[in-house]
Order: sequence, then C-alpha cells, then structure tokens
Amino acid sequence: MNTPLMHYLVWPLVKFLIAFIIVQVLVAAMNWIERRLLGLFQARLGPNRVGYKGLLQIIADPVKFLLKEDIVPASAEKVAYFLGPILPLIPAFIVFCLIPFGPPPTFTVTRVNVGLLLILALTSTGVYGIILGGWASNNKYSLMGGLRSAAQMVSYEVPFGLSIVGVLMICGSLDLVTIVRYQETNAWNFLPQIVACFIFLVAMNAENNRTPFDLPEAESELVAGYHTEYSAMKFAFFMLAEFSMMIVNSCLMVTLFFGGWTLGMFGIGLTTDVLRHMGMFGGILGTLIFVTKVMLFMLIYVWFRATFPRFRFDQLMDLGWKWMIPLALGNIFVTAIFILAGQERLMYWIGIVSIGLAAMYLFKPKPKRAAAPGKVAHAS
Amino acid sequence: MEFAIFFFFAAVAVIFALVVVLHRNPVVGALSLVASFFALAVMYVLLEAPFLAALQVIVYAGAIMVLFLFVIMLLNLQHVAEPVTRPVQQFLGYTSGAAFGLGLLYYIVKYAVFAKLPAGPFVTDARTIGIKLFEAYVFPFEMVSILLLAAIVGALLLSGRQYQKREAAP
Repeated sequence: MNTPLMHYLVWPLVKFLIAFIIVQVLVAAMNWIERRLLGLFQARLGPNRVGYKGLLQIIADPVKFLLKEDIVPASAEKVAYFLGPILPLIPAFIVFCLIPFGPPPTFTVTRVNVGLLLILALTSTGVYGIILGGWASNNKYSLMGGLRSAAQMVSYEVPFGLSIVGVLMICGSLDLVTIVRYQETNAWNFLPQIVACFIFLVAMNAENNRTPFDLPEAESELVAGYHTEYSAMKFAFFMLAEFSMMIVNSCLMVTLFFGGWTLGMFGIGLTTDVLRHMGMFGGILGTLIFVTKVMLFMLIYVWFRATFPRFRFDQLMDLGWKWMIPLALGNIFVTAIFILAGQERLMYWIGIVSIGLAAMYLFKPKPKRAAAPGKVAHAS
Repeated sequence: MEFAIFFFFAAVAVIFALVVVLHRNPVVGALSLVASFFALAVMYVLLEAPFLAALQVIVYAGAIMVLFLFVIMLLNLQHVAEPVTRPVQQFLGYTSGAAFGLGLLYYIVKYAVFAKLPAGPFVTDARTIGIKLFEAYVFPFEMVSILLLAAIVGALLLSGRQYQKREAAP
C-alpha cells in the first residue's frame, strides 16, 4: 500500500478526482443558484419551470449546450478559435490539486512549499483563452472584449498579488497549510489584514470579469464581448472556466483570510488538532466547513453582481492603478512596521475598529425623507 | 523518468522558440513564446527550484506576454507583409546575431561543459532567495529597478509628448 507509486501518483489522482467532481457539481449548482438569487434580488422569479423550483435546470442546461448547433465563423482563425475555450479550463482544473480542502494529509491532494505562488501562476494564465478567443473570432466586438480583458487582468493582477503579501509577511510562509495552521492559533487573517482582505475581494471580482468589472463581455456595449461568436459547448466551456475560477478565488479567500477548514481562533474551537482527534469524521467536517465558507463567498459574488452597476473602462483603470495599488502598498508598509515593532496583535484592533465603523454606518438611523427633500437625490 | 521529462520539455522549448523566430504571424509567435516559457518553467522544477518556476510563469507567461499580445492585437499586426529593409540593416542584423550566438556558445562551453559544477542540493525557497537578493545582491537588484523606472519614465514622456501635440493642434 505504501509504495512510492501509490503515495505519489495513485492517491493524489484519486483525491484530485473526488475534489474535481465535487467542484464540478458545485459549478453546475452555482449556475442555478445564481439565476435564482438574481431573480430574488431583482424582484422576479428566475428559472422555476424545470423540476422542483427549477432544480432540474442543472441537468437541462448541459443537455441543451450539448445538443445545440456548433457554429464556427467562416473567417475565424481555426486553431486559435478551438484553443480559446479549452485553454482557460486547464489551469482552472489543475489548481484544485493545490488547494487544501481539509486537514492534511488526508484531505489535501498535494502539499507544495510554494503552493500559493503556483496557484497565482496558474490562475494568471487563464486570460489567454479569453484573449485568443476574442482575437480568433475575427469580430471587432470580440477583439475589443479580448483586449479589455487583457488590460483588466494585467492591471488587477498587481493589487491581487500585493494584497496577499501582507498575509505572507504575518504567516511567514507560502504554504497554504501553514497559513491555515497559523490562523487557528492566532486570529483569522481578515482581522489584522482587513485592508488586504477588501482589496482581494475587489481584485478577485475583477479577475473573474464579474459584474461591476465585466467589461470584456459588457452586453450593452460589445454584444457579448469575447464570446460573441461562440455557441453550444464552446460557450459552455467559457462559462465552466469562469465558474471554476470563481470557486478557486473563493477557496483562496477562505484559505488566506478566513481560516480555511478550521472554525476557531486562538487555538479555541474546531482547530486542526480537534478535527484530527475525531478521525475520518473530523476530516469530513473540516471539508464541509471549508465548502460552506467557499459557498458564502460565491453568494457574495452574486450579491455584488446584483448590487453594483458596471464601471466605465477609465473608471476601472483609475480604481485599479490609483486606488487599489497604492492602498495595497500602504498595507504592506503598515504591516511591516507592526511586525518590526513586534506588535502583530495590535493589528487586530485595526480590523475590529473598521468592522465596528462599517457596522455603525450600516445600522445608523436613516434620516426621514420628508424632513430633507433637497437631499433625497444625493442620498444614494 | 527524469531524463525523459527533461528531453521532452527541452524539445518543446526549442521547437517553440524556433517557431517564435520563424513564423510570420506575430500572434502565433507570442503564443509560442508562452509555450516555450512553460517548458522552461518545467526545467526549473526539474532543477528543484519550484519558486523560480512559479515566478517564471507569473511574471513572463502571466503578465509580460499578456501585454505583448495586447500590443500586437491593439496594433492589429496580423497579416501585414513586412516592408523591405535596406541591405545595411540586414547585414548588421545577421552579423550582430551571429556574434551574439558565438559569444553565447563560448560561455556555455566555458562554464557548462568544461567547468566543474557545484553539487546540489541547493536551497531554493523564498526566504533564502529573498535574503540573498536584498543582502548580497542588493546593488544589481536596485540597478535593475532603476533601469525599469527609466523605461517607464521614457514611455510616459514619449506618450505625453504626443498627447500635448494633439491638445495643441485644434
């Protein structure tokens, strides 16, 4: 049982397949959840015809994608046109090898000591499919979508990477398992790194071309952007890659800022050791906790999409270069000062105070509309 | 096993590098360069330097080549036939290329074939590389950043001058 072949090839493959299937089921479910939730947010019904509450839509959509006619534009660059939808799938699938879903060693596929960097490397190559697809379609709207995507990805990769640096400085490791273990003995990283957490949240929305930043496929400007000319299964591949990358980014968010598979801080609560004492059940519990957290962030994606209107392209670039990058650099600087002073625990107060202020702002009593009629127009 | 992987990816790297030089379509060239970079990253993994491999993919494949593709598509350089250059330029190009190749060959032979290489295993984690970079090699590191800064300022100046002209024109 313990031959190197089993240890290095068979078990990782089995684990990867299980994780892969779970993630694909989540992707399929996410499609239905997103449409139902958008219906809820926008005060309409959403899909509710196929099966109970539209649940069979999860099966109906792939069947429809498979059976539709696959149209290839006559003047498309053939090879690049076929590579376009397939290329982003490869990194989106491989990344799931590197994410620790539950307490190691049983519930992680592999453990690489530069795991975080490898994930960043793989996710940063996903953009090629979009650029290539946009270019190969030989359609000006597609090309503009691809170009916008390239500019946006490169711009937001910088704050995305810089926001992680603060976490790395606190935890002192690039290994995702070590980062989670650090968070269970100290506070979860969103407390000391609340600024980085916010930047990461914005940047991951931009990386995935989700709605406040979905300029590559802005339907009111570019028809459908880079996938205008794609139909049937090829379009489904683009969707699959997008949703997989959303799950990857949510996994990263949970692992880096929200304690991974654990449910405890300062060594109290459901930490890794407690879960290990429970044996197999504890491992599955940890994985369930992880998946629940990830799904919460997937819901935040949908929430964002329903809440914010789309940015203009120059606003997008301004936000990235003039606000996000300086903010991320400042966060690194402040974190470094606190670490050099040996007062890492003081940073928790930054998080607590800012969360408190945000809560106060949210729940402050709203002024009555009739009292100040002149201000209603600006009240948004 | 390691040899098989090495030769496969070495062949991939060389073939795609040749495609970069020989293919007429700039988009194909840029994409082949990306494939070549990926093969190179596999070489770093084989040399037990996963950190370098990850950086190679992040920086070159993930950022720089995306920008290259962006520029190529923005200028729409797809099927334009290249204008005939003057023979002097051709001559200079060939000779400088040959000189560079010969120099490269000389140093490869000098340092890789006839010299004794230090034996591994090497420490290649992020911490060691960072400490080396900011202590022993801080001067070259800063020189490279100044070089990049100069390039950025130059680019800004050039684009800014055009912008000013356009403002002044109407």
